[in-house]
Order: sequence, then C-alpha cells, then structure tokens
Amino acid sequence: MNAFRFSWPGRVPASRSPLARYRRQLWLLLAPFLAGALLLIGLPALLTFGLAFTRYDALTPPVWSGWANFAAILQREVFWIAARNTLVFAGAAALLQVLGALGLALLLHPARRGVHLYRGGVYLTTILPDVAYALIWLWLFNPLYGPVNLVLGGIGLPQPAWLIDPATALPSLIAMAAFRVGEGMLLLIAARQALPAAYYQAAMLDGAGRWAIFRHITWPLLVPWLLLLFVRDIVVAAHSTFTAVYIMTGGGPGYATTLLPYLVFEEAFSHLRIGQAAAMLTLLFAAIALFVWFVYRRLGAWGYADDL
Amino acid sequence: MISRRTAAPPTGPALERARPRAADRRQAPRGRRPAAGRVLWHLAAIGVTALFLLPLLWMVVASLQPAGMPPARTLTAFPYGVAWANYAEIFRVIPLARQLGNSLLVSSMGAGVTLLTASWAGFAMAQMPPAIRRRLVALALFLLLVPASAVWLPRYIFFAELHLIDTYVALVAPAVMGSKSLFVLMYYWTFRRVSGELFESAWLDGAGAWSSWRRIALPLAAPTTLAVAVLAFSHYWSDFVDPLLFLKSASRFTVTVGLRMLQQMDQTHWPLLLAAITVAIAPVIALYLFLQSVLRGDADIVRRSLRILDRDSEER
Repeated sequence: MNAFRFSWPGRVPASRSPLARYRRQLWLLLAPFLAGALLLIGLPALLTFGLAFTRYDALTPPVWSGWANFAAILQREVFWIAARNTLVFAGAAALLQVLGALGLALLLHPARRGVHLYRGGVYLTTILPDVAYALIWLWLFNPLYGPVNLVLGGIGLPQPAWLIDPATALPSLIAMAAFRVGEGMLLLIAARQALPAAYYQAAMLDGAGRWAIFRHITWPLLVPWLLLLFVRDIVVAAHSTFTAVYIMTGGGPGYATTLLPYLVFEEAFSHLRIGQAAAMLTLLFAAIALFVWFVYRRLGAWGYADDL
Repeated sequence: MISRRTAAPPTGPALERARPRAADRRQAPRGRRPAAGRVLWHLAAIGVTALFLLPLLWMVVASLQPAGMPPARTLTAFPYGVAWANYAEIFRVIPLARQLGNSLLVSSMGAGVTLLTASWAGFAMAQMPPAIRRRLVALALFLLLVPASAVWLPRYIFFAELHLIDTYVALVAPAVMGSKSLFVLMYYWTFRRVSGELFESAWLDGAGAWSSWRRIALPLAAPTTLAVAVLAFSHYWSDFVDPLLFLKSASRFTVTVGLRMLQQMDQTHWPLLLAAITVAIAPVIALYLFLQSVLRGDADIVRRSLRILDRDSEER
C-alpha cells in the first residue's frame, strides 16, 4: 500500500502539507506502542544487560565488576545443570510439540462435520492459565492417587513416581508441555489447507498410497512450516517455564527440574544476587539470539521465502 | 454420501437423469470405503480430543469429592457421593470472590486499553511507507523474542521508583504498548488486507488519521477486535508472575495468586484446590467458546495472516 507516496502539489512547505500532517498523526497513533516497547521492554532489557557487569543486591547501589559475574556463574555447577536441563527440556518439548501439531493437523485438517469441535477440544489445553495448567498436572502426576497412575495401575503397568523421582521429573515436565500444541496445530492446518488439491488428485490418479503421498507431497511442502514452528517452540520453551517449575517442583528433586528462568528468579529475588542473575539472562538471551540467527541464515540459503 | 445420492434432482430429461446414475454406479464400490473411512476418522478424532479433554472432565469430577475422605485409589467416579458444598467452601477458605473481582478489574482494564493501543499501532503501521513498515514488523517480532524473565527485575526497580508497587497500574502497564506485540501484528495484518485506496480517499475527503481509524478501520476489523479482546482478557486473567512480583497486600491479589495461596495452605486437600481451579478457568473457557462460536472458521484468522505474510514477502 503506497497510498501516500505521491508528491503533494502546490506551494505549501513540505512540513505543513496535509500529507505531512497525516503522517504525523500516524506517528502519534503509533507513539504509545513505541514508548511502551522502549520503556517496558527495550530499556529494561538493556538495564539487565548492564547489571550483568555489576555487583548488585538491590539494597546498595550497583558496583561495576566487569566480567566477574560471568566468571562466577560459569564456575557454579548449578548453572551448568540448569543450562543442560533447559537445553534438554526445550529440545525435547519443541520436537514433541511439532510432531504432535503435525499429527493433529493431518488428522483434523479436512473440513468435515464436527471438525470444529475436535479442533476446539484440542486447543482448549493451550488457552488455560499457566498456574491452573501446572496445578492440574501436579494432580494428574500424583504418584498415589493421581489419575495417570490410577490408569497405569488399572491396566497393570508400572507406576513411576513422576515429579518425585529425579529420573522422571524432567520428562514429566516435557510430557506436560507436549500437550500444549493448539497454536502449532492451527498454523499447520492452515498451511496444509493451502497446499494445492491438484497435487493430491494427480497422485491418486497415479495410484499412490497414503504413505507415498505423505512422503513425497505433504512432508516436503510442510517442512518450511515445521522448521518455523520448531524454532518458535524452542524459543518459547527456553524462557517460559518459570510458572510450571515454581508451582510443581520448586526446581527439585535436587536440581532435576531447575531450568534457567527459575534459577534466575531464585538468584535475583531469593538470594539477591542480581548481577549473577542478569549475567545468566544475558547468556540465555545470547544463546537464543544466536540460534535464531543461525536458523534464519540457513533457511535463507534454502530459498525459504520462495516456499512460503 | 448416501443422502446426497437420493437427493438428486428428479426433474429433467431422461438422458440427463441417467448420467449421474451411471456415474454413481461407477463410484459405488468406492463410495462405501469413504463411508467406513469417515467413521474411522471420527473415532480417531474423538479419541484424540478425549485425550485432551478427559483430564479437565476428571478434574471437575474430582473437585466434587467430599472433604476429609481418603482419596480413591481406584478409577471410581463418586465413591463417597457428590459434594457440591466444596464450591461454597472455597469461597470461605480463601477470599476467592474478592480475588475473582480483582482479576475481573485488572483484565477488563488491560483488555480495554490494549484494544485502543494495539489497533492504533496496527493502523498506523499498515499505512507507513514499505521501508519503515518492514522495520516496525521486525521490531514487533523481535519484541516477541525477548524473554519475560529479562524484564522482571528492571520493571520492579522502575515501578518501585514510581511508587507503583502494590498497585494495578504495575500489572496493566504493558497494555500501553498493546500488551503483546502479537496483538499489534494481528491488527496490522487485518488493516493491510484493507485496500489502501479506502484510506487514501478518506484522506482526500479531509479525514484525519484519527477519524479514519475510528470510522473506517475499526468497523472493518470487528472480528480482529473480538479476537484481541478475548486474548488480551485471558492474558491478564492468566498472568501469574506479575501479580506475584508486584502485589504485596493480600486484599489485592488476583485469582492466579489465590490458587497458589490455596495450594500452599493445604498440600493434600485436592478436591478444594481442584474446585478453585475449575472456578478460575471457567471464564477463560467460556470466553474462548464464545469466540469460537462467533468466528466459526477458527483457522481463518491464521490463514488470512499467512496470506498477508505471503504478500509481504512478494513485495521484497
């Protein structure tokens, strides 16, 4: 829309022309967003970055300490445990979410009667408040009378202790995250419906089976969307786990479910080691930015834009 | 399939009528398989949906177990009868009514302001020259990448300096920037779909940006407004970390913090906690079902957004 690109005729000075006035009005409408983004996200993020280089306990003014915080956290075992946990959690949860969303989208993409109800039912878990979702799963995973173990016991399978056992605690959180796939499903349904029906008709005339059609038509055409979704899910999984950990495990047992956002919260608000917390956040953000940049470059090299 | 075949129009010359019948006969052996396939598909879809919905149904069942009874160790629905009293009890154990009211206040304020700021920003962005527009979209996408945890602490310091700790202003402050840049982008995509000539001619008629937004853009974006209103309301209703950090006095707590309170009070009394969760999530679910029934084609908004993205990439 290049509506306002034409030049304004007449002798009016450029700054007073109606067009310039309209432009100024547009910027005025945009001002709250820009101001809010600057004050509530931009500056705070920069301040966090700055605090990473100071010693600060919220009581006395921050003292410049150079790279000391980074050196300190890199030597702390709990940071490495949390980093490893975050990596495992984000990778596994994102993979399961993408595969789950793909399976659901392939099942629920046809426009048939009742399909809205099914999609709505699947999407419902995604819109629940984080606290409620975490508390529900805390109950589902209760080793003694939680429904998951009641079902497993009912069909004679072993009943793990889930969140109580260090070996199954992190996988439990991953399983819980894997059920929130509503947005990915909607995206992939839209992407699947946008694929030309002619491809499928041609393949069926050639007598191709379901697997062959999926393997040679659906999969290659959906791969760009799957990658996009995977990147998004990894980013979200890496930094939106605080509530679940805080409500369900408190980082335990031991440090089995200590993920970086929770560790940052504990460092900053419980131990008042704000400089170290900020340094951890800086590293987390740098890792995410590097990952996104890397994927973006690779996708560009694959001619990603053409596939869209 | 079958009903459609019998409903074939009985009028017309014999030849015309014969043709669809011949086609039917050719397809008949195949026609039965799709019918069976359709039943299988419904069974699969019901099974998958049940996997997502059963925990919620079960939660409601479990929330009705009488207090003080040992938890059932088998899969029985109501071993000790139904205790509706739980839903009265939770309002006595914690100030749930007050917390629901607080949440309603915060969410309404947040959603209301968000509708204004997000639609302003989306409207303005959509009419910027392409170069500026692309940068603004990039900015909005980048803002989505900044982890929430990166702004907790600076915001706390910021609000403390302004004496806004323990006020609702601290909770709804993000509404000034449209709450999430996703909401701004939703409006932006909607307004990009509108022909630029519409705004152009309004401008030639002497309309300013403000009246163009109010009289042309907003009425055209009604479905987006509805979606953003529901999403923004749910966003503030669900918010847990902000009230946890910024609210101090218990009388101002919202319902999400209330759930945490209840969880900490009694770690073993699940029926009450589950009843409180049911009450807390009911408004979100009701709003979502309302939105779905109004918008119907659920995936439509996403699909339209994708088409806009397409157009953007073509322009490059």
